[in-house]
This record gives sequence, structure tokens and C-alpha cells, in this order.
Amino acid sequence: MRSHVLVLLVFSALVSGVFAMLLRDDRRSRLRFGLMAFGAFVVSALVVGWIMHPFPS
Amino acid sequence: MATVVTETRRAAAIPACLFAWLLPGAGHLYLGRTAKGLAFLGAIGTLFVLGVAMDARLQMSLGLDDVLASLFSLAQMAIGVPYFAARALGFEVGQVTSVTHEYGNTFTAVGGLLNILVILDAYDTAVGRKP
Repeated sequence: MRSHVLVLLVFSALVSGVFAMLLRDDRRSRLRFGLMAFGAFVVSALVVGWIMHPFPS
Repeated sequence: MATVVTETRRAAAIPACLFAWLLPGAGHLYLGRTAKGLAFLGAIGTLFVLGVAMDARLQMSLGLDDVLASLFSLAQMAIGVPYFAARALGFEVGQVTSVTHEYGNTFTAVGGLLNILVILDAYDTAVGRKP
């Protein structure tokens, strides 16, 4: 698994799933929370990556 | 009567937490929360297996000479038996030159940290604070 984006998507999905199971009690709110958390993970990673892009390592 | 129920719940909390540490989700399975237990086992187990497959280093660095390494090691150990089994099977060194080495480290450590939250959730479930 060498694709950075694929790693990001898999990591976000698994961690969001665990948080949704921990923090919500019914199926509908778990699904909603899980999708929100997944989106937040992915979007924040892309935004932080975009902000860091002009800065060389 | 309420005291007896409370004592019974507290007695169930100890094995639930122990099982939850030994194997992610096992505490919830022990408490009869099958869906939750299987979800935790699947998600955290996948995180750990992918982390090992991505050449994570399963270090056991305990001590105060390198506090960050010790905290990282404790985070990985929180996943329980899979961590020690992977070490016993020869995956402890990892491969620092691998492209995915740091991803693997992150996956295994986050899996362990999530399992700490799962252990606490199993405790809350056992004592009746959560449904």
C-alpha cells in the first residue's frame, strides 16, 4: 500500500469507525458521525497538506 | 439489592477490561455486546495488521532515557496479544528504509491508543454507565 491517498482513506475510515462505535449508540447516528469524522479526517489532511506545500522540507 | 447489583457489575468490569486489553473487542464480546466487539476487533485488528505489513517497528523501549520512545512503545503494547505475537513471529524490527515504515508505526500506535479507549468503554459498559 504505497499510495499516500489510499493510506489516508483507509486510516480515516478505520479510526472514524471506531470513534463512531464508541461515541454514538444507535445505528443511524453512528453512520452519520462516522461519515462526518471520515470527511473531517480527509479534508483536514488535504488542507494541511495544501498549506504545507509551499514550504520545502 | 442495589449494592449486590453494583458489586456484580464491578466484578464483571475486571475481566472485561483484561479481555479488552488482550484482544481488541474481546471485552465487549465478554459483556455480550457482540456487534461492538466485532467492530472493534475488525477495525483495530486491521489497523495493526496493516501497520505490521507496512514494516512498522514493534519496539519495546521502556525507561526514562528516551521518554517519547517509551510512550510510543506503551501505545503499541496497548493492543495486547497481537503485539506480543507479532514480536514473537519476528516482526519486531520492521524496516526503517521502507517507504511505508512511518505509516506502519502510526497505524500500530494509533491502534493501541484506540484500544485504550475501547478498554475504558468496556469498563463503562460493565459498570452500567453505558448501554
